[in-house]
Amino acid sequence: MSVLGTIIRPMAECGIDSNGDCVTHSPILPETPEIIWGGLASLLIFAALIKFAGPMIAKSMAARTARIQGELDGAAEAKSAAAAEATQIRAAKGDIAGERARILAEADVQAAAVLEDGRVRLKQELADLETRAVAEIAATGNRAGDELRAEIARLSNAAVDHVVTGSLDDATHQELIESFISRVGANS
Amino acid sequence: MSDNRIDGYARALFEIARAEGTIDEVEDELFRFARSYESSDSLRNALTDEQIPAAKRQAIVEDLLGGKATSTTVQLVSMVIGSGRGRDLPAIVDKLVDRASSSKNLELAEVRSAVALTKDQEDRLAAALANATGKQVNLKVVVDPSVLGGLVATIGDTVIDGSVRTRIDQLKSRL
Repeated sequence: MSVLGTIIRPMAECGIDSNGDCVTHSPILPETPEIIWGGLASLLIFAALIKFAGPMIAKSMAARTARIQGELDGAAEAKSAAAAEATQIRAAKGDIAGERARILAEADVQAAAVLEDGRVRLKQELADLETRAVAEIAATGNRAGDELRAEIARLSNAAVDHVVTGSLDDATHQELIESFISRVGANS
Repeated sequence: MSDNRIDGYARALFEIARAEGTIDEVEDELFRFARSYESSDSLRNALTDEQIPAAKRQAIVEDLLGGKATSTTVQLVSMVIGSGRGRDLPAIVDKLVDRASSSKNLELAEVRSAVALTKDQEDRLAAALANATGKQVNLKVVVDPSVLGGLVATIGDTVIDGSVRTRIDQLKSRL
């Protein structure tokens, strides 16, 4: 609003009383008829608004409420699904841990069995080796003993031949012959 | 050679020797020659070699025995060798000696000794063997160095072994 408007307007809006003075209305309250008419007009407008725009607004609000409710329901379902999935994952995780524990336990049992089996087999092989070694040592000892005895016998035989033939002089021959004759003659 | 043929030769030789009246000497000489013949491979090979003519083999016999044995013995051995029966000579002689012993009711006693026995020892040994067996024996002594010492007497199936060789063998087996 221009400055001139600011000056003229209050003069134009003022009333002239019986003294010709410009009398202006309350700066706060409007004129009574304005209040009446304005009130009526407002009522009409509200009534019209209620009549014509109210259902649309209510419908719109109801749709919005339904949409929000749907979104809330979807969120709740998603949350439930997520919770169920989380439960499944946790269960699966628990199963995996159990399976891992079972496999580890089974592996431990198998390892223990293999270890025990290997220990028994090793012990048996050691016993067999020891038995064979003892037998071989005994056989070697026997062979060595036999060879030694054979060598002693061979040397003894050679020594006997050498000593006996070397000691058989004529007198010994005659003595042996006489001994034989005497012995045979005595066996009557 | 079959036993019959050996018997035939032995009987023939025995009859010839007996007819000659030299049976004791002949059987003794034949016995000694047979033992030497058995123990000498070279002699046996020479007298049984078919590649050598019979006359030459007989000449070998005459060379070996000439002057050491009676002529009857030489002729009998020569005859056997000449007829190609050299391999059977020991068996023929053994049969002849058996026959001679039987004809005198004697048991053949073969004695092996490392050294020769004196006549006195032979007589005492024959008496001892007769005493031991209860039979009169026809003693035949064979000098066999393999005996080493002592004597081994075989009378029929009985063997009286007093040889050093046997004692050494027993000692060796114990060793």
